[in-house]
Amino acid sequence: MMDLRDLRRIHPYLWEIPAGYREDMRIPCRIFASKEMLEEIVKDRSLEQLVNVSALPGMQKAAYVMPDVHEGYGFPIGGVAAAAWPDGVISPGGIGYDINCGVRLLKTELSHQELQPHLRRLGERLYMAVPSGVGKSGFIKLSKEHLDKVLEKGVPWLADMGYGGEEDIDCIESRGCLENGDPSAVSSHAKGRGIDQLGTLGAGNHFVEIDRITHIYDQETASAFGLFEGQVVIQIHTGSRGLGHQVATDHIKVLLGAMRKYGITVPDRELACAPLTSPEGKEYAGAMAAAANFAWANRQAITFFIRKTWHEVLGDQGGHLSLLYDVAHNIAKVEEHRGEDGVRRKMAVHRKGATRAFGPGHPEVTPRYRNFGQPVIIPGSMGTASYVLAGTESSMELAFGSCCHGAGRQMSRHAAKRAVRGERVRDDLHQQGIQVYSGSMAGLAEEAPMAYKDVDAVVDVVEAAGIAKKVAKLRPILVIKG
Amino acid sequence: MQRYRYLEHTADVRMLVEGSELPSLFSAALEGLNGILRKDSGTLPRQPEEEARVELEAVDETALLVDFLSEVLALSSIRRAVFFQVEFSTLDGRSLYATLHGKRVDGFDEEVKAVTYHEAEVKLTGEGDYRTVIVFDI
Repeated sequence: MMDLRDLRRIHPYLWEIPAGYREDMRIPCRIFASKEMLEEIVKDRSLEQLVNVSALPGMQKAAYVMPDVHEGYGFPIGGVAAAAWPDGVISPGGIGYDINCGVRLLKTELSHQELQPHLRRLGERLYMAVPSGVGKSGFIKLSKEHLDKVLEKGVPWLADMGYGGEEDIDCIESRGCLENGDPSAVSSHAKGRGIDQLGTLGAGNHFVEIDRITHIYDQETASAFGLFEGQVVIQIHTGSRGLGHQVATDHIKVLLGAMRKYGITVPDRELACAPLTSPEGKEYAGAMAAAANFAWANRQAITFFIRKTWHEVLGDQGGHLSLLYDVAHNIAKVEEHRGEDGVRRKMAVHRKGATRAFGPGHPEVTPRYRNFGQPVIIPGSMGTASYVLAGTESSMELAFGSCCHGAGRQMSRHAAKRAVRGERVRDDLHQQGIQVYSGSMAGLAEEAPMAYKDVDAVVDVVEAAGIAKKVAKLRPILVIKG
Repeated sequence: MQRYRYLEHTADVRMLVEGSELPSLFSAALEGLNGILRKDSGTLPRQPEEEARVELEAVDETALLVDFLSEVLALSSIRRAVFFQVEFSTLDGRSLYATLHGKRVDGFDEEVKAVTYHEAEVKLTGEGDYRTVIVFDI
């Protein structure tokens, strides 16, 4: 366990582990947290893992963790680090097994009151339309050739097939496609695990959730985002399913074997990495991008089925479901940032359980939001609030344009199941006016709100630290869990 | 001797595996993985409906065990089967040749994303048994 005395306080919500803390550190580590949060964070191995990250070749400026941090594999969950491009490394451990796990938010034209009479029927129909649970197949039957198209071209290809439009593409991080997506770098095992999973949620913490906006913090930005108090919105949280999991597994194995060739040693096998320019590094980057494209396409396919169901239940009075934004929180991308010397240069930014939060004016933010900053979607746990935030200019300087990704787990799955039964969680949520549809009562217990940190406190720290600003607060009214 | 038990982990499943020899260690780990995928894996009828050949090379026993479990996980997911039996024709510290026998199932209880190298380290205990922790990303 790290001693709090080893940390230096930069400001009330930013702490530093100096580069001299351990001999092999190349850069300092910085932690966004309140003092109370920090006292909890040091209890697991998150910060030791962050120190390990700071020892990777070519790391720039500082390695960061967000206030929703917890222990992961290789990188801690909630970690952000950038490797010099092209001389640094790429590490699957900095991205995670669920490549491009992320969240998108759909805006409806209805208020909570208008939807209320239809809610039960809508929930039942949505539960059928979006397959959830372990290893469930989707309704889209992809041929091998079409799977390769998804891996190479992501959402734009799926939109061409009739599952979306330009309006959607414009509101997805990287427009729903990383151009270096390479289907040939994705193994037959990975393709076999993913081919029938497009349009499926999966299990664990993935969900579709209908929320209502209970508070607007920034009216001007909310208007630009098309959000208003009382509005019903829909969140989709899922990733690249078995395909992405297998891509990570396959390439960690390859990179573990390749490191010796490049003279790289790492303190944890889960930090296996290779130079960005090496054949192994490029191959992983191509496979990771392909899996990311699959994940964006997955969230797009789910959007298609939600829109279809919405229209079937509500007819024309339901209006259109438009996309606010789609953010990735497990991904690596080449971006331009300032180094410690203040000079702008390209870097391979790894975000694992952290969200891109580019500020106003950034060319990668779609023109419709460019004056306000990129929308950032922060889902809470089932019974608690979620937030829409906007990226800030200071986030670009403080954390490579990044912020938190959720509440962050604090209780083990076993402990949660020991503490509460799924039926109790469902009934408690029902009493709060939240309908829950889930195939697994044990799964509900594992995801009980008490298993997570306080999302309000996490978002308060993010705003106080200046890495994103609050735009709107959401409360759940209906949850579909895997 | 071969045995496994599940330990505490904040987000995922952590398992302690022991075996008096490498084959029993690997068999115990397979049993442990199956127990996560299907709670009833121990009582499923042992009908050999699926067969798969596994051939692996790795830098050491630890990587070999993780790679073996990863391979079984992928095959289980793709073929929708629980592989209840493994026959090793070769199993040393660096290579594994084996045949898996499994029963098809209608689904799984838990979605195991991956078998990780996190905390995994096959070691010999004072009693001469092999032991390691395996963490599954759930």
